[in-house]
Amino acid sequence: MNLAIFLEQILNGLITGSMYALIGSGIALVYGTMKVLNLAHGELYMLGGYFTFFLTVQFGLPPYISIPLAVAIAFALGMLIEKLTIEYLIVRENWAFTTIAATLGLSIVLQNAALLIFGERFNTVPYYVQGVMAIGDIRLPWQRVLIFVVALAVIGLFTWLLKYTRLGWSIRATAQDRDAAQVVGIPVRRVYMICFGLAAALGALAAAMLAPINAISPWAGIPVLLKGFVVVVLGGLGSFPGAIAAGLLLGVVEAIGVQLTSSEWRDVISFTLMIAVIWWRPWGLFGKK
Amino acid sequence: MFKPYTLQSRLCIAGALVLMLALPLITSDPYIMHVMVLVMIFGIFASAWNLVTGFAGLKTFGHHAFFGLGAYGSALLSMNLAISPWITLWLGGLIAAGAGFFIGTPILRIRSMAHVAIVTLGFAEIVRICIANFSSVTRGEMGLWGIPQFEGFTLPFAGPITFSPADKVSFYYLSLVLLLLMLGVIVCLMRSKTGLAMLAMRDGEDAAESLGVNLTRMKLMVFGLSAFIVGIAGAFYAHYLSILTPASVVGLDLMISIIAMVLVGGLGTFTGPLVGALVLTVLIEAMRDLESYRMLGYGLLIVLIVMYLPKGLVTLRERCFPRPQE
Repeated sequence: MNLAIFLEQILNGLITGSMYALIGSGIALVYGTMKVLNLAHGELYMLGGYFTFFLTVQFGLPPYISIPLAVAIAFALGMLIEKLTIEYLIVRENWAFTTIAATLGLSIVLQNAALLIFGERFNTVPYYVQGVMAIGDIRLPWQRVLIFVVALAVIGLFTWLLKYTRLGWSIRATAQDRDAAQVVGIPVRRVYMICFGLAAALGALAAAMLAPINAISPWAGIPVLLKGFVVVVLGGLGSFPGAIAAGLLLGVVEAIGVQLTSSEWRDVISFTLMIAVIWWRPWGLFGKK
Repeated sequence: MFKPYTLQSRLCIAGALVLMLALPLITSDPYIMHVMVLVMIFGIFASAWNLVTGFAGLKTFGHHAFFGLGAYGSALLSMNLAISPWITLWLGGLIAAGAGFFIGTPILRIRSMAHVAIVTLGFAEIVRICIANFSSVTRGEMGLWGIPQFEGFTLPFAGPITFSPADKVSFYYLSLVLLLLMLGVIVCLMRSKTGLAMLAMRDGEDAAESLGVNLTRMKLMVFGLSAFIVGIAGAFYAHYLSILTPASVVGLDLMISIIAMVLVGGLGTFTGPLVGALVLTVLIEAMRDLESYRMLGYGLLIVLIVMYLPKGLVTLRERCFPRPQE
């Protein structure tokens, strides 16, 4: 196989992987802090894509305004959803199951509401940046490079946020021990709301960055959610750094796997990898026991 | 669950049984028969999902994998190897049970509900994509059609029984027999000591283990059994409709409707899944014009039930008229 093409595929894998990392880290953030598995995460991605589409294409806003705006709307929507459903369920008995079931129901509602409101059309957004970057024989569209740069920047921002800000401390304290956090005066409910909002924002950002490449449709969320799940299982459920590493890894593994087989087996490759990891290291590749 | 049968509950069961047996005598309208057959197939599926999720406490979201495996397994065996559907029905169940053991093994090592949900969902997705991609065998997204029907036979005192699309009554009785058989297995299991151990496992794994419940064996057994029952339901569905597509039998939509049925009826009860299957299937048929809102309705229903009626419809009476504490 041509080495340049092979390297190009690896790079593309890393770029896709950076998006998996963004999606997976949203799921990991919510699970790590609240122990809630959010099955509606894919639909938050999908809605983020629609917000970007409407702001960029319908209202003609430039991407550097429309994308932050779309992410902000998704943040608010995420907080609203948490306030309306999870907040009631999480204090009841059997919450681990009811929250999964409720977010599953929510995902169906959002998906079908989007289908009724936005229609079946697949919408795309024009490339944010034009042109192709060429290093030797390796050629990458600048759009893909931009995706990778934005992903790295956001991951850096979140790592800083979790480590060095009061909000980050509250989130990590709540994740460690919810009751103890409450005792020392951390507003746990508000932390939950913000966490859910941040996860939605991460998903929406991934959707906004991918919108020029992957068309946005009411069903766009399902494959994204499943990929996000693979990422969090590989990285150790609830681990933010694990999700990022696993996302990048999954992107590369998929790229190589698709080279060896064909693109219709892409999802089978990643799910098989997930089940293999569950057999071998149930707590994930990077997680602790 | 371990209360002895009261006269009242015996009468209720007998009444429901007589009603189900007599229904074709009252009306043999093919449409009503068709809806009732679907109700019973979904009833079997819902009861088996309730067995793992409601009784054993393994919250899986990928049971449609076993329905699809049973359906495609039985259909392909009967089409390619010319085995009678009467036999492939059970083989389909065994294929599903094998898959259940396979996916149950990693699950039993994990105690986290989220992992179980993710792994089962991922497994169902693998099954769906494989069925769609191996199009030389399964015809892929085009769907499998021309699946052989059950052969007719002659019943003493009743004369010849034939299974054809025109004659829904025989399918009705066959699905009723299957439903009663599967329900019988589940009820006997749950009223036995094993059932008690299973409930103990659901309510407190560590406590159950310390009292000598073999969690590994219990989880594998219940997962395999449930997969077997769902596989039988899938196989029957295949030979009944004689047309299959990956989306219709391994689609997430199917799983969601089953989850909605069980939650509406009542998770962790015997009658809940059946009531849910009956109510939702009949409701959907009654509101055919609103087909495009169907999944939206299921989603809303799941959210509302989980939030406001977490024990389901069958416990509504006790909720409205609480009995005095004895």
